[in-house]
Amino acid sequence: MQHLPIASPDPIPLPGPVWLLRTLLLLTFFLHLVAMDLALGGSLLAVFYRLRRKSEFARQTARDLAAKLPVMMAYTITLGVAALLFVQVLYGNFLYASSILIGIPWASVIVLLILAYYGFYYAAMHDEAGAGVRVVGALAALLLLAIAFIYVNNMTLMLTPGRWIALYRRHVSGWNLNLGERALIPRYLHMLTAAIALCGLFVVLSGIRQRTTQFGQWLIRQGAAWFAGATVVNYGFGLWLLLSLPARIRALVLGANGVATVLFGAALFLSLAAVVHALMLRAGRRPVANASVCVATALAAVALMVVIRDYVRNGYLPPGYQFGQLRVVSQTSIIVLFFVLFAAGLATVYYMLSKVAAARPAGDPASARQQKA
Amino acid sequence: MNYPIWQLGFPGGLLIATVAVLHVFVSHFAVGGGAYLVLTERKAYRNNDRELLNYARAHAKFFALLTLVFGAVTGVGIWFSIGLVSPDATSTLIHTFVWGWAMEWVFFFVEITAALVYAYQWDRLDRASHQAVGWIYFVAAWASLAIINGIVTFMLTPGRWLETRNFWDGFFNPTYFPSLAIRTAMAVALAGMFGLVSTLQLRGGIRERVARWSGAWVVVGIVFLPLFGLWYYRAFPGFARRYLAGGISAAGTAVNLAIAAAALALVVTALAALWKPRALNGAVVALVLLSGLATLGSGEYLRELVRKPWVIGGYLYANGIRADALKQISATGVSADSRWLAAKPAADSLAYGREIFVLECSACHSVGGYRALRARVRGWDEHFAYQALPHLQLMRGTMPPFAGNETDRAALAKYLASLNPATVSISPANQVAAGREVFEIHCAACHTVRGAFRPLNLAAMKAGAIDRLLKILPALNPNMPPFTGSEAERRALARFLETGQPTS
Ligand code: HEC
Ligand code: HEC
Ligand code: HEM
Repeated sequence: MQHLPIASPDPIPLPGPVWLLRTLLLLTFFLHLVAMDLALGGSLLAVFYRLRRKSEFARQTARDLAAKLPVMMAYTITLGVAALLFVQVLYGNFLYASSILIGIPWASVIVLLILAYYGFYYAAMHDEAGAGVRVVGALAALLLLAIAFIYVNNMTLMLTPGRWIALYRRHVSGWNLNLGERALIPRYLHMLTAAIALCGLFVVLSGIRQRTTQFGQWLIRQGAAWFAGATVVNYGFGLWLLLSLPARIRALVLGANGVATVLFGAALFLSLAAVVHALMLRAGRRPVANASVCVATALAAVALMVVIRDYVRNGYLPPGYQFGQLRVVSQTSIIVLFFVLFAAGLATVYYMLSKVAAARPAGDPASARQQKA
Repeated sequence: MNYPIWQLGFPGGLLIATVAVLHVFVSHFAVGGGAYLVLTERKAYRNNDRELLNYARAHAKFFALLTLVFGAVTGVGIWFSIGLVSPDATSTLIHTFVWGWAMEWVFFFVEITAALVYAYQWDRLDRASHQAVGWIYFVAAWASLAIINGIVTFMLTPGRWLETRNFWDGFFNPTYFPSLAIRTAMAVALAGMFGLVSTLQLRGGIRERVARWSGAWVVVGIVFLPLFGLWYYRAFPGFARRYLAGGISAAGTAVNLAIAAAALALVVTALAALWKPRALNGAVVALVLLSGLATLGSGEYLRELVRKPWVIGGYLYANGIRADALKQISATGVSADSRWLAAKPAADSLAYGREIFVLECSACHSVGGYRALRARVRGWDEHFAYQALPHLQLMRGTMPPFAGNETDRAALAKYLASLNPATVSISPANQVAAGREVFEIHCAACHTVRGAFRPLNLAAMKAGAIDRLLKILPALNPNMPPFTGSEAERRALARFLETGQPTS
């Protein structure tokens, strides 16, 4: 391993079992991904609907999405923090190095994030009719696209230490991206298209809540079309991504690793089921039942994709750096304390949200406005 | 040596410091402001004061906009920047405290939800529930501060963790409680300061009421600072207290700035918010805010400064070298353990010497900019640099010991000497002035004459006797490099020391 510039594992042992840390990583990353999909997809759909100014429904949809984007951002970030914590503890010796190599773009994420976030607040607080909101909303969406691109650069670069030294020699200041990576563009497009698809489901769900109105029906059809269309396109990007992986790693999900292969098949099947239900939704049949199945299967497919991504990632790890070789000294009592606090935290959040839900006589603001219109 | 070094042309610590000061400013407001909001709300209900209630509602929106976006994202920014600048330290912290951070994250999650509900569902919730959400917010925010405080203070004073490697020993370390007390007081003061900002929107009697109320928070927060500051200081390790007592002049400046800024904030608030609230205007509020920023900023700067040469006291040096790895590196050389070197190790390689500089010095020094090394090795020739390097930790700065074998040492010496190609010429016309120059080059890194830092006073001796001493410096004290100048330089130096003229 001497030729690869990978840091030796930290002399301080892992403070918890690998399976637990990995589970928490996958869980928090899944949640981050869903929130991120809604934020990124939502910002793009808002831009789209703002352009269709003639339709009252489109304008209303843009307004509703804009009102939710700050909240989606808040959770994207909060859940991303947790994923960052666990990915650092497990993959730090890869991630620190790749982050430094693309240091300038990586650090700029913070600035882009603040600008985009304030952009969404601006758009949420100002009148949709103004040109300002259209411009700011579009810029903020572009910033999110850039952030996602930088993330994909880092997540791929951390897995290819063979490429590190050359990048470091080129720019020691971190003015690099991982543009030499074959999987970069397909992976990015795959993530992006999934974001649009999932946000389509969000639109479906907001339609379901007001399904007795014409607007609600329209939302369901629109959302279903976004989901089905984006997902079908994503089969193409997914295939491209698969083909751009190194053969050894591609083989993992195509038979070489039994579990990964089964999960991959299941994910494809679930996503197909989701598309079929979306098409039924679009045809206007049994909205509640079809929407529930569609959302459940789609989320399950995303969850499986997250697990498959983990197999792929670990497939990249060089032989000397497998988890089995890490020393573990569990801080058991502290782990227990964490879970106790975690449960208390969930209960507290539940308490607050239930108070909000209970205090909602006039329905949510979207339908309230709808009734006025 | 494990990781590549992010070479920005200036020490990355400056970037961390900038992000951290901005974050700390807003995040302490995020803690104190929570209590301020609920107590203001409660006061409004008690006194049936509609104007005050409207103020609280507007302030809550401002609060959310500032803390949820800028506060939260700059917090992520600290993570990003410490990972980029000090990956080894970040890795140590994460491995030690991942569960602490996970707990902090739980509070953070609760905090974000509570803030969104508090600010944006104000009209939907009944009074009692709304205030309950406000208290939940405050408790969660303070708890996340209490956790992060354990990790930050650990870096300065890891305490018994160094032997036990036990989570709680590191967490409840010697500076934990005083630091938490200071931070809490600061949070109270900042809640009032930002309250004053929102006051500017108001007109008439309500403006004065809110100014007095916010001013009281500022005053209450600040009056506790001297007491807590003293407590904190007394928990510092000895080396850190020596810096403050004159070891490094920047430390003294920072202490004075922190005290002056806090006093200014106190006086201005007392005059313009408590005594004559009518006088409150944008400029005055800006002054108070800036003083608050200066207090916090110099406090953070001090904490970072007095921690040097460590990032994690007694465990990891600021340049990412672990204390227990020094021996190994001296034996095998830097190159054996470093994965990122471009130049081949060779004693006469300038390129290799520069790489050693990047690895071991650039965490704190730039070449020609911030804390410029070029200015600090003015007049050094290769020979002197070579002799001086093993004694870095004794110089005025707060430096880690040099790590490396003979090759590394010689190459770095060559590089340091190359920074100032023209050596300073000694004019024999004025022996004493020339001698002072020699002193600056050869001795001033470790001594003053009759000054604060490791003072020498040889005025009682004759030049000839001093000259004899200069020939045997390492025999006087093994921590001292031999004198490497020419014979003329040595005589000039002896003449200068004989005069007893002070240096600083
Ligand atoms: C932990 C931070 C740190 C590191 C690492 C560091 N220094 Fe310094 N150094 C300082 C500080 C602080 C000062 C004094 C502050 C000042 O002069 O502004 C200083 C001062 C100096 C001085 C001037 C001493 C004097 O008073 O004349 C020299 C020479 C020097 N450093 C050389 C080096 C070399 C060579 C390296 C690398 C092998 C190095 N330093 C690494 C922090 C550091
Ligand atoms: C790398 C640091 C360093 C340099 C450079 C250095 N000294 Fe020293 N010197 C020391 C230390 C350490 C002592 C021990 C006394 C102490 O710790 O206070 C010492 C002690 C002395 C003493 C004995 C004083 C006593 O009371 O024990 C003399 C005299 C002295 N130095 C002169 C010089 C002169 C003259 C120069 C310049 C040519 C010089 N030193 C350069 C570190 C240094
Ligand atoms: C709105 C802004 C954000 C966007 C658009 C975004 C997007 C993404 C994307 C596309 C990925 C997947 C990359 C890949 O697998 O190739 C990702 C992963 C990740 N994101 Fe985010 N992200 C955002 C904000 C954040 C923030 C603020 C954090 C943390 C502080 C964060 C933490 C992470 C982590 C840790 C991962 C990787 C997890 C893993 O590899 O297991 N993200 N993000």
